[in-house]
Amino acid sequence: MAELLNDFVIRSVIAGLLMISIAAPMGCLMVWQRLAFLSDTLGHAAVLGVGVGIWLQMHPMIGVLIIILVIVISLSRVSSFNNALSETALAITSHTGLAAGLILLGTMPGQRVNLESILFGDLLATTKTDLILIAITVIVLLFLLAQHWRSFVAVSVSREIAQAEGIEVRKVQFLMYLMIALLVAVMMKVMGVLLIAAVLVIPTSSARLVSRSPEQMVLISALFGAMSLGGGMLSSFHFDWQTGPAIVLSASCLLLVTLVLKRLSKGRH
Amino acid sequence: MAELLLKASDISYAGNSGNILDSVSFELYRGQITTIIGPNGAGKSTLTNIVNGLLQPQSGTIERMSHLRIGYLPQKVYVNTLMPLCVERLLQLTRRVSETEVDLALAQTEVTYLKHRQVQSLSEGELKRVLLARTTLGNPDLIVLDEPTAGVDVTGEVKMYELIGEFRSRLQCAVLMVSHDLHLVMSKTDQVLCLNRHLCCSGLPESVSQHPEYLALFGDQAAASLAIYTHQHDHVHDVAGHHHD
Repeated sequence: MAELLNDFVIRSVIAGLLMISIAAPMGCLMVWQRLAFLSDTLGHAAVLGVGVGIWLQMHPMIGVLIIILVIVISLSRVSSFNNALSETALAITSHTGLAAGLILLGTMPGQRVNLESILFGDLLATTKTDLILIAITVIVLLFLLAQHWRSFVAVSVSREIAQAEGIEVRKVQFLMYLMIALLVAVMMKVMGVLLIAAVLVIPTSSARLVSRSPEQMVLISALFGAMSLGGGMLSSFHFDWQTGPAIVLSASCLLLVTLVLKRLSKGRH
Repeated sequence: MAELLLKASDISYAGNSGNILDSVSFELYRGQITTIIGPNGAGKSTLTNIVNGLLQPQSGTIERMSHLRIGYLPQKVYVNTLMPLCVERLLQLTRRVSETEVDLALAQTEVTYLKHRQVQSLSEGELKRVLLARTTLGNPDLIVLDEPTAGVDVTGEVKMYELIGEFRSRLQCAVLMVSHDLHLVMSKTDQVLCLNRHLCCSGLPESVSQHPEYLALFGDQAAASLAIYTHQHDHVHDVAGHHHD
């Protein structure tokens, strides 16, 4: 078993599957709460985090975690009870973070940071340390999800009902933001910020079309996510495409196919 | 004396959208139905939101019985189309409840046939009934209903108020509701809070309906409401609005 992990393909497949297993429930929650854009914002702002990490001569992941935590905490402070995060605030944060990050990275000529690897990561370069870190994060997040699942779903359906019936909505919401921050920070090196955002949202949207309960939507998202991962990695080997973009594209193709099949089956009734 | 569940003393609230409450005091007792009436913008929803803990009063105090369990029907629920959700699961939203309880609740509001339907596919009236059924689950001490009959026809309304009375007897809980149906609620209510940013008057329906401030607010409407009841029905509606000839 341990020897298997010496194979970079096996390592990257395991990393990808771990990612999918957590991206499905987290992605569903984000879509339900109209937070799909938050992963994008955090992804872009993470570029600044990489810059800060390198500048402080720390691991980039720590820089990313710091920046994302600052953003998540300030965004949740400006959001009112009734409105989830404002789109404008997210867009401003997203662009400012990316711009500041690019400038900061540019001022460090000694460091050659590859922007493409920040955007799409390098799944095939997953190390054993990466794998351990990802596994721990996934276990922690899955544990928190299992503990708070009913509250998370209730808050997604109606913040008013949830609060009135004894769920502390602000706390639950804040915990969710923290979990998203942790997810983005840890997965960034391997998956890249754009791949994370795509994996959170695209398989989830496909799953919405064919599921009848929140939990079913999570399971189907995971299945679609795994299929996208497989399709992406195979085409990446076969056609020598970059792995990250190939995974995103296969997720999009799967969404398209699901849409068409759904339309066809509706037309038959 | 019935058990005191909630006591509001001199609560005031000023929101940024002009919703104002000025020094409102009242008490809710187990087994009592309390109805809040008042014109639009009188602060009725603000008051229920304070009771629910959605809003904090800026002054005054609100004391709740410890571990007060609330069942809540909001005035408007925005159905989240991004989440697949069937009626049965909606009923188990905030609490773990047995299937028997779910069936009983749905049967009470006569919507058993909706159990496996997707929430997005319900009509406004159907959704109201499902959400009303939901408030009775998990042994609530207090049921808070914000305009439970909005979007329900008049014969449905009568049945709905009867049902709310049944919930109170079966669950031994308190009910706090906001209503516009003066003519219907007065007979089913133990306590009326007549609200117009301040508490104009409160107490038993008979005494409130004689109060000068109540008559100033609702005099015309109270007289006109009698007329609604003079027309005859040649068919019945069940609570979900379906006709039975």
